[in-house]
Amino acid sequence: MLLAIWVFYAVYFSPTQGWTFFLQLTVDGIILGSIYALIALGYSMVYGILKLLNFAHGDVAMIGAFIGFGVLTLLGGPLSPAIPVVALVACMFVVAMLGSGFLGLAIERFAYRPLRDAPRIAPLISALGVAFFLENSVLLLFGANYRNYDGYDLISYNGIHLGGSAGVFVSYLGVMVITGALLLMVGLVALVRWTRFGKAMRAVSFDREAAAMMGIDPDRVIATTFFVGSALGGAAGVMFGLVYSQIYYLVGFLAGLKGFTAAVVGGIGSIPGAMLGGLLVGLVESWAKGYLNGNVADLVVFGILIGVMLIRPQGLLGTPALQKV
Amino acid sequence: MADTSPPTPEPPAAATAQIGVDSWVSEEDQRREGRKWLGRTWERLPPAGKLALLTPAIAVPFLPLSEANIYNYGLFILIYALLALGLNVVVGFAGLLDLGYVAFFGFGAYIYAFLSGTHHEKGHVYTHHWAAQWSILTAVVMCAVIGLFLGSSSRRLLGDYLAIVTLFFGQAFVVFTNSADPYGITNGSNGLGNIDPLRFFAFGASFTVSSTRGYYWFLFGCVIVVLIVLHLLSESRTGRAWKASREDPLAAEMMGMPVNRLKIMAFSFGAAIAGLAGSVFAAAQTGAFPQNFGTQVLILIYAVVILGGTGSLTGMLAGATAIIVSFQVLDSTSPPNNARTLFYLSLVVGVVVIFKKSRAQMAVAVASTVALGFALHAIVHEVWPRGTSGQVTSGGYLTGAIKHWVLLPTNPNRLAVYGYLALIVLVITIVQLKGWWRVAVVPPTIVLTAFVWENLLIQQPAVTRYVLFGVLLIALMATRPQGLFGTAKVEIA
Amino acid sequence: MKKVMVAAVFAVALAILAANALGSAKAPARASASSLATASVTCGKLRTIGMAAPITGPASDIGNQQVRWAKFFVKRWNASKANRNQKIKLVTGDTQLGVDTAFAVKVAQSFKSNSKLLAVVGPAGSQEVVASTTAYKAGGLGFVSGSASRTSLTDGHTDGNRRGYFYRTVPSDAAQGPTVANYMTKTLKWKRVYIIDDQETYSQGLADGVQKILNAKGVTTKRDSISQKDSDFSAAIAKIPSNYQGIYIPWQLAPQAQAFGQQLQAAGKGHIKLFGSDGLFAPGVWKIAGSYDSAFPYNPTDPVVKAYVKAHGGNGEFFGLPSYVAAQVDTLAVTKACKAGHGKTTRAAVRKQIAKTNIATTILGFRVGFKSSGEMKLPAAYGIYQIQKNGSFKRIG
Repeated sequence: MLLAIWVFYAVYFSPTQGWTFFLQLTVDGIILGSIYALIALGYSMVYGILKLLNFAHGDVAMIGAFIGFGVLTLLGGPLSPAIPVVALVACMFVVAMLGSGFLGLAIERFAYRPLRDAPRIAPLISALGVAFFLENSVLLLFGANYRNYDGYDLISYNGIHLGGSAGVFVSYLGVMVITGALLLMVGLVALVRWTRFGKAMRAVSFDREAAAMMGIDPDRVIATTFFVGSALGGAAGVMFGLVYSQIYYLVGFLAGLKGFTAAVVGGIGSIPGAMLGGLLVGLVESWAKGYLNGNVADLVVFGILIGVMLIRPQGLLGTPALQKV
Repeated sequence: MADTSPPTPEPPAAATAQIGVDSWVSEEDQRREGRKWLGRTWERLPPAGKLALLTPAIAVPFLPLSEANIYNYGLFILIYALLALGLNVVVGFAGLLDLGYVAFFGFGAYIYAFLSGTHHEKGHVYTHHWAAQWSILTAVVMCAVIGLFLGSSSRRLLGDYLAIVTLFFGQAFVVFTNSADPYGITNGSNGLGNIDPLRFFAFGASFTVSSTRGYYWFLFGCVIVVLIVLHLLSESRTGRAWKASREDPLAAEMMGMPVNRLKIMAFSFGAAIAGLAGSVFAAAQTGAFPQNFGTQVLILIYAVVILGGTGSLTGMLAGATAIIVSFQVLDSTSPPNNARTLFYLSLVVGVVVIFKKSRAQMAVAVASTVALGFALHAIVHEVWPRGTSGQVTSGGYLTGAIKHWVLLPTNPNRLAVYGYLALIVLVITIVQLKGWWRVAVVPPTIVLTAFVWENLLIQQPAVTRYVLFGVLLIALMATRPQGLFGTAKVEIA
Repeated sequence: MKKVMVAAVFAVALAILAANALGSAKAPARASASSLATASVTCGKLRTIGMAAPITGPASDIGNQQVRWAKFFVKRWNASKANRNQKIKLVTGDTQLGVDTAFAVKVAQSFKSNSKLLAVVGPAGSQEVVASTTAYKAGGLGFVSGSASRTSLTDGHTDGNRRGYFYRTVPSDAAQGPTVANYMTKTLKWKRVYIIDDQETYSQGLADGVQKILNAKGVTTKRDSISQKDSDFSAAIAKIPSNYQGIYIPWQLAPQAQAFGQQLQAAGKGHIKLFGSDGLFAPGVWKIAGSYDSAFPYNPTDPVVKAYVKAHGGNGEFFGLPSYVAAQVDTLAVTKACKAGHGKTTRAAVRKQIAKTNIATTILGFRVGFKSSGEMKLPAAYGIYQIQKNGSFKRIG
């Protein structure tokens, strides 16, 4: 509500820029938001099933981005790809998703599974440790330099003009990111809703003990959840690299933080909530950067998060936590 | 909190197990007997005696050090000990996960820097040269008040949500100090330089602490005072109530404890101690900069608290010593040979810990490690001479041994990267294996570790230490969540 | 297990402390802070100077360029037969610029108490200079930076007073701004310029300076800022009106400029030209053809520069070039002070020699000497470069 008033106010009183500018920001925000939403899904799925804030998730996405970059470089780089561009992009996504998926599996197996019955604080600290380990390993192995995907060189600088040449502009790459994210999300919803695994996952997240008694192996379900969530993160990492071009070892920290914000705002543990939250955080960030000074955008995003937490701790689409004794 | 985890498996029933007595509790005396006399005496010592023993133990090693080493080791050990003591109140006593703790450290530093110094920025001139005692006091009180406000949000927020809010609080602090401040109070990414040393004015007399040694002793006093206060506090009604509400908030509430108020109090208390540490830190560093208060510092403080053992005061001092010494030794300004010594020592300790149950296994493992290294070196030397023709980084007394035992390729970059990745896999494998299988895998792992260390890690000790702290947190959580000095908790299912 | 771990941790900690204690006990008696400046140092055949630079951390790229350039000088100096009795040893300290300014202070502290050390090259960042001034002054050390260009460092009051201690071999930002603004108005004839800083002081200072001059000349300007951590510039780009002719981006991270240029092009605003600053002088990383860049002066035909480029695989790494001159200034000052003191000198004497520096030909292309403020006497004009299709930088003004 407040958000709507602010947006209206900003648009209405912004003398020179008008609605085209607003729509342009919105489109950019949706692109950013779809990436955040993919990252948020990983946080939310893991929280839903383990009640664990997996701080390392942003860094898994970062590693996905690095794997994608590695594939791109191995196959000739953006200017002279060795295989057709479509195949190359597909290759990047598949390898990055598999790589980060298996990384997620490994993290779950070695950092979180031994702590299944430990006090709640233990896996959180372990998660901080994993995040730190991943970031600094990448720093150790690949250095602190920023790397450029040069995604526009690879695909195209062109795009679609909505409403004439002075209107809103969406690059083909942007369109690709939005469609890709949508497809992945639809796939995920289908997976959770209609497959045996999805059923098992929902059962485990509802009550792990009862699910175990019904013959579901919770460890397997949790591992699969980690795999799926991390693979989505890896895809988000590659998309991030393609659209925004630069990646470095801390890119996962900030993007992960925003994805995490998205998951929390939407209601952590809720899959539609993560999608909604991602979109919202992307839009708010884009609007804040557009209408306010760039250096307060992050403060606005964090401020909204803290506000949401204070007013509605369970998030927009989450269910309030019941305390069982 | 919904606790859906399956009940903890009962420990094997001891002979003394009785019906209605938790076997873990009943075994406590036995366990206590099991400890050797040193541990027993330490436990029986009254707190004042512990303090009397500890004080010189901490102070003496620093006396002969040079100014730089006092700064790098002494000062930072004490600052982190202070920070850990504060965080210990929040995490250890009250069981709240505060991921914005480092922001209070920052607030303390910035408040001191702002009140005791001169700053020009963006057309504003701030000239306050308050006496140090008032600046520090203001910093402490302000931090306590901010902690009170932030903590009161935890009234509505359960465990994880508090972690989220504080995490963003910490991030917001860094963003704010870095760029989002329109009045130049924090002076953006430049931070506040140009600040006064600790200058106390009272009754017309003035007393200035400005040398590194001076800061060291001042901080030393602070740590002792905070230790005493915390000890008294933890034995008081409030302290016991904190622990009770940490163990089981619901039960504590049922017993009539004002759990929320207790939590907020702990939060605010911890914040005040961080504020104190921050203000002294700013004075000693002669500045406050946004990057002083980022995530890395937070992780470092957590590493100290976790290693020392949440809830234990002695543990905080031990943790700070261990973490800061290894942190400084693995600094690029410190001679690489210190880092190397530390590295091989910890490798030895690692082997001892892995094989503490079987001397025979240890002997076999050690012998085959040594043999494997030499054998591999000899083979590679024959087959691929360039694989052994590299230089030992910055020599030292271990040069001879390393040259003949570790593979040093002329151009190790890519090999070292693969070695690092392979090492991760091997270490993970070791954790999974038991008995003689483990004995079989340990030697190649150690040889590979040495290879990666000599060819990759020693070049970038400053990054290596962060990797190691990450591993330390994971490993400690998996093997010994209570840290060095903490007491193991029985999880009530 | 517990005891083993406790004992191990303590054994290691104490061993290290003891090693350090022994090490420092061997060193001559500690002098108090004020007398460090006047403590007599025996020169010997190998004299020590320190270098504070970001060897690791996000700025390690430029930090290592500086170290390589400084080491290049020391190598050449020591290789000369005339200097066989006055060789130089360069001790490096890692300030990790961009991670934590505290590291710069730590480096300064250890340089201060290294009694053999006579002068310092660095530190790299202006914020690091501010932070470590107290330590260097307490140790009586002169420090010559090859990259800290914030204008106010030498004005004697804004960021504290460091006259007589701090010198720099790089022109201040006050010299770069006018060159850039002049080129925009006179040569390029821009009427509308968009200015984006990256929220670091270096960047804000330059942006402020250029904006002021442009406004005074009747050029329309608009200002925005992005963060060094940003990758998504779409909102910032959406704000730029299509009829602007140029965007001034005085940033420090060249890959960021590259990403910005691509996103600008992808948003259909590729016709607006970018104009960078010396922090972006990174051929091969920032390669948006047609963009302009200003960089500090150097003499590309100097044999030293040619030798360096050849020794480093054709890569000039010119950001580190002034650090070569800084090392040269320190070395000459130490050598002269040692000569004047007949094999003995003090840090204070070395500082006096730094102040009297007068090197007729340098690889900067002009005579180097210092004003009392610490600035160079002759800050020759910045050069203007344009990025070519193949990614190389071509000097055009």
